[in-house]
Amino acid sequence: MIKIKIKKEQITITGHANFADYGQDIVCASVSSIVTTTINAILSFDEKALVYEENKDKLNLKKFKKDHITETLLKNMIRLLKELAQSYPQNIKIIEEEN
Amino acid sequence: MKFLKLDIQRFAHKKGQSSTQNGRDSRGRRLGAKAADGQTVKAGSILYRQRGTKIYPGVNVGMGKDHTLYATISGIVKFERLGRDKKKVSVYEA
Repeated sequence: MIKIKIKKEQITITGHANFADYGQDIVCASVSSIVTTTINAILSFDEKALVYEENKDKLNLKKFKKDHITETLLKNMIRLLKELAQSYPQNIKIIEEEN
Repeated sequence: MKFLKLDIQRFAHKKGQSSTQNGRDSRGRRLGAKAADGQTVKAGSILYRQRGTKIYPGVNVGMGKDHTLYATISGIVKFERLGRDKKKVSVYEA
């Protein structure tokens, strides 16, 4: 299951969708595409608008710039991921934390 | 910060990581008929290997403790019916 932990200053994505075998996992493909598109869109506007760290099966986004474009694109990403999580509750879990 | 590379299977289960408890099987026991109907056999020849009595011993046929059927005389093998839904094998003198 992909776990998406959303905090004010940080978004962490870990785990595996386990929807299908590698290469056929459409849920994983959706999450990867939504997140990558958002990150690269934000970086297209401003290279310093956020920082991401990636390793084996974890992606960490942090140090978001407080500007309209970055916040709008991140909100849009979160909304899409929530929509996806509703369709595939067995494969995606979104955890929103206050601090 | 450079662009993030698009890997659409980034959060997919990598092949070969999962393991399975299955994947074992015993060797085939080569059961079944060892002599055909109408075939001439010698005394002591094994006619049928089986688990339990799929086929029952008939005339001039003995049964081992593992239910193997064998000829007790030399002769011709005959697979016959036994009652409504059973089979037996017999050996008749040539």
